[in-house]
Amino acid sequence: MTKSITLNHITKIEGHAKLELGIDKGKVTKCELSAVEGSRYFEGLVRGRRFNEAHEITSRICGICSCAHVIAAISAVEDAMHYTPSEQTKQLRILLTLGERIRSHATHLYFLSLPDYLGYESALAMASKYRPQLQNALNLMKLGNNIIKTIGGRDLHPVSATVGGWLKIPKKQDFESIKKQLFTIKKDAIKTCKLFFSLKYPRFESKTECFSLANNNGYAVLDGKFASENASFDKSQYLEFVKEYHEPRSTANFVVKGDHRYMVGALSRLNNNYKFLSKDAKKMLKLSKLKLPSKNPYHNNMAQAIEIVHCIDNAINICENLDLRNESVENIQLRAGHGVGAIEVPRGTLWHDYTINDSGVITNANIITPTAQNLLNIQEDIKEFIARFANKNKDKIVSNVEKLIRSYDPCFSCSAHFLEVKWV
Amino acid sequence: MPNQKLKLGFYGITGCAGCLLSVIFNEDEILDLVQLVDLKAFPFIKEVNIDDEFDYVFMEGLVADKEDLETLQKLRKNCKYLVSLGACACTGCVPAYRQFTLKENYEHLLYKKLQNVEDLQPTPIDAHVKVDFYIPGCPPDKREIVTFIKNVVVGKMPKPYESPVCVECRKNGNQCLLDLGKPCLGPITAGGCNSVCTNGGFECWGCRGPTKDMNLELMIRILKDKGFDNKFIQDRMRTFVGLKLPMLEKAMLNLNNGKKFSVHA
Repeated sequence: MTKSITLNHITKIEGHAKLELGIDKGKVTKCELSAVEGSRYFEGLVRGRRFNEAHEITSRICGICSCAHVIAAISAVEDAMHYTPSEQTKQLRILLTLGERIRSHATHLYFLSLPDYLGYESALAMASKYRPQLQNALNLMKLGNNIIKTIGGRDLHPVSATVGGWLKIPKKQDFESIKKQLFTIKKDAIKTCKLFFSLKYPRFESKTECFSLANNNGYAVLDGKFASENASFDKSQYLEFVKEYHEPRSTANFVVKGDHRYMVGALSRLNNNYKFLSKDAKKMLKLSKLKLPSKNPYHNNMAQAIEIVHCIDNAINICENLDLRNESVENIQLRAGHGVGAIEVPRGTLWHDYTINDSGVITNANIITPTAQNLLNIQEDIKEFIARFANKNKDKIVSNVEKLIRSYDPCFSCSAHFLEVKWV
Repeated sequence: MPNQKLKLGFYGITGCAGCLLSVIFNEDEILDLVQLVDLKAFPFIKEVNIDDEFDYVFMEGLVADKEDLETLQKLRKNCKYLVSLGACACTGCVPAYRQFTLKENYEHLLYKKLQNVEDLQPTPIDAHVKVDFYIPGCPPDKREIVTFIKNVVVGKMPKPYESPVCVECRKNGNQCLLDLGKPCLGPITAGGCNSVCTNGGFECWGCRGPTKDMNLELMIRILKDKGFDNKFIQDRMRTFVGLKLPMLEKAMLNLNNGKKFSVHA
């Protein structure tokens, strides 16, 4: 029997994507996942603009990870200008990034993923029976937003981070207030872990390699080599290792390393960096009974839950140890150069790359987002996974495929429009 | 008994999802807020979406390809009131800045596409359909969205905020960033954002659009006096709201020809 399934608008994901499946006599004959976002050409829009405008413009790539684009852009520009930010600036950038990760993971876990497992069409539809659980989610999202607002000045598209420092240093009492909120919220993070450990995840192993930043100092956020269990390279070498190509039917590009597919995100970070988790996050990892390394993409949900606990502990640590001083933004000596920023953001490793001339004008840009890197892997996983369900009815196939796609927490706004191909 | 609640839909076309997130990020109110209305569609967070008949459709994003346009036109037909949610929908925001940058800056990124995703000129939604209400900003103020919904639920028509950002900025006790030599567009930009950017030390880039009675020539003159060149001033003013400033080129020209600028009476 031949089945053809087209999901024109996959719901409960960030952005717009489409999936086309063909199944013939129990075999998968077609599997094409594509972003259907209109192109915005951000890499073209920053050309001709000043070095300190890139982060404000590229922030608009994505609402749910705008802090990520801001910090990645700033890091790349500073790298091009051979500038090293102060320790305080680095810590504030980490804190901003952690706040965003808590918010993003909580939003994904409860609003986009959980309804699938509990048999509801949406989190809102769960409200009458699962109000306390939704309250956990909203508490975590609010905490993330409060951190970003306090450190970055605004909860979406933050304003205070800039090249060379921080436009407005948070007040000490605001830092104290964040710390208190972090301590209070910890119980919601633990509850989140327990809830997501209790769900039943399909057994599946992706034939993939898990990449993330990794260093010897901790659970990497802003620094480190791009590494998996059997490879490691410096961010400056990324163009030799990460290859981009374009699928003609889609606005998204896929990225492969040495012709292998790979996976980035919370599960990859957990696989590579679990020994640097906070004490309580380690306890949660133990409770989860996850065997690492895990290459089951459904486990990304558990990894995100564990990361929320870790991010809270890491953020508390920063609030306790950072003695805020009133540093002003440094005037950086203009120089021509090329720089790369690679940082860990909610969905994985984000790359920004800029070339700047000696007047401080951007002449070239390249941006590779986590979802762009994951797309090929998601598509290949779908192909393998649904072979098991090929004889089942359409509804069963669709619900399993959607669950799989959502477990990656893809962001199709981000994944579209970044590619290097010839003008035709 | 017929359902008397207002039928609402929240949709996104090409954009960053930040405006839809701004709806959800009203953490203390969202669960109760959705009880006040009949939420028929919100594909970002709902699996079941019925798009046949709405009182209000909130639309995030700009028109960047044919599919965007088809979605927009269909929803316009199926709703009583269309609300333009956020800067992309209201002004075209950063993606529409493409209309003002050199083609050589982005043509290396173009490629042949399928018919249904063929690029269109990046444009705000009111370039294609009638818009009844605007909630501006990149992102919009999330409180403003709640206030809007609560207002229409009880039959009140929301009014736009028309004073410039400077009014709220001064009220918030900030030091004037123009005085510090920063290229702040607060004087010509509609407020209602509680001057969130300048509160954080960052100059206004104009995301909520020009005020009705702005004095554009005076703004340009001030920036030129501060040492900013023509290209910088034009690029900056066009980043978020270029399509809403069709008079910019002429204003620049007048000033460059040494014409005396006019102070608004």
